Amino acid sequence: MTESWGNFKSFEGKKFKAMDAEFTNEVSKLIGGKDLTACFQCAKCSAGCPVSDKVNIQIHEVMRMMLFGLKEVLETDMVWLCSTCYTCQERCPQGIDITDILFGLKNMAFKKGITPAGYIGARKSLYDTGRLYEPTDWERDDLELNPVPEFNIEDTKKLLDKMKLMKLEEDE
Amino acid sequence: MTQSYEVFLGCAIPSRFNNYESSMRAVAKELGIKLIDFDGASCCGTVVLKSIDESSWLSMSGRNIALAEQRGHDIVTPCNGCFGSLKDTDHVLHDDETYRKKVNAALKPLGLEYTGKAKIRHFVEVLYDLKDEIETKIVKRLDGLRVAFHPGCHLIRPSKVAGFDDPELPRKVDELIELTGATSVHWDMKLRCCGSPLLIASEDVALKILQEKMISANGAGANCVVTNCPACHTQFDIQQLGLKDDDGNSLELPALFVTQILGAAMGLDLEPLGFELNRVSLDPINDILGL
Ligand code: SF4
Ligand code: SF4
Repeated sequence: MTESWGNFKSFEGKKFKAMDAEFTNEVSKLIGGKDLTACFQCAKCSAGCPVSDKVNIQIHEVMRMMLFGLKEVLETDMVWLCSTCYTCQERCPQGIDITDILFGLKNMAFKKGITPAGYIGARKSLYDTGRLYEPTDWERDDLELNPVPEFNIEDTKKLLDKMKLMKLEEDE
Repeated sequence: MTQSYEVFLGCAIPSRFNNYESSMRAVAKELGIKLIDFDGASCCGTVVLKSIDESSWLSMSGRNIALAEQRGHDIVTPCNGCFGSLKDTDHVLHDDETYRKKVNAALKPLGLEYTGKAKIRHFVEVLYDLKDEIETKIVKRLDGLRVAFHPGCHLIRPSKVAGFDDPELPRKVDELIELTGATSVHWDMKLRCCGSPLLIASEDVALKILQEKMISANGAGANCVVTNCPACHTQFDIQQLGLKDDDGNSLELPALFVTQILGAAMGLDLEPLGFELNRVSLDPINDILGL
């Protein structure tokens, strides 16, 4: 099965059209995005990143792709293989909120349908049940734990409807 | 002084690690920390919803904070994922007026408002405040327990949001662990992510990271891993089952919650500490724990 994500695998032999200023503008509006220009490519972010040796495109390269307005960045595996560990953000000498910017990129990719299948299922269960996982009642009985307090699904749904969670793709 | 908190369990603990909840409650009871059940919450959203849509995440998570605020309580959670998500939401809603207005406009019809009064704390933070008291309650020393403590990412990073411990040299939970007589070993992969958030995108990559972590823990001579998070624990007590290095040598080490070892050292009833539910065999450390 071909995945919808991570399909930009290498810069080798790639020719890019003119830089897309609109895309740069869009990503600079993400949470943390205003500092993109401060990145001086020291690659300290990639040095401490737990997936640097497991991805095709590393995080410091992602940072530069955004600044250059290369939309292909949404198709790099780094977007969804970022574990959100915040090591890069904690260590960036320029104080750039790298992980937060990546969350914004994930949002953009999701809207375009570039996402691991697991996220589609997770969205549905968060919307339908207000939670990701169901309680294991027999264990709770054995430990004499009270039932888990009721989740309020109706109110949560109202909020998620307002934010159009189930219609993100149509927002294009 | 009795402290009371609205306790936010999240959904991973009741689903997979009821022994964490149960041992937390036992320790809290012994220390006089009052835990009020958090009625009417929802999942915190976690990095999963934040990855899909930040506005949805902020409103789902912000609603939980606003609920506690309405009830005049602070929140305590034993989960790094919930802690990180709630703290991060608090941080964004506090600093970013546009998002705060957007979320509050959505909360208004539900009779809720976020103003930032409710504090969000991790259970280990509350424990650390009571360190001296815990020390007086240790009745059974766990000498010989060599702990690879895994703080997890969102307990300490980003430090300007988490605000708990030194992000490069965390020591606070280690100090609690060492109160029991156990040793918190130095291991070079200690600060590295456990890989758990990647289970949804790529189990292979998540397992590779876990393997690197466990090679490091074994190399440091640890005889168990200790965590304070159900998401991390999913890696250490579920994914770790049968884990081997590339030469086929077993890397398995027992995985415990910090509340389980504190409870054991405080001489609490073993039943609620829930050791029977630990999946990786505890045989190598049974004697030390008094099981
Ligand atoms: S650490 Fe910061 S400045 Fe250095 S390459 Fe990464 S983002 Fe750029
Ligand atoms: S937050 Fe993501 S990009 Fe940054 S170091 Fe961690 S895994 Fe790498």
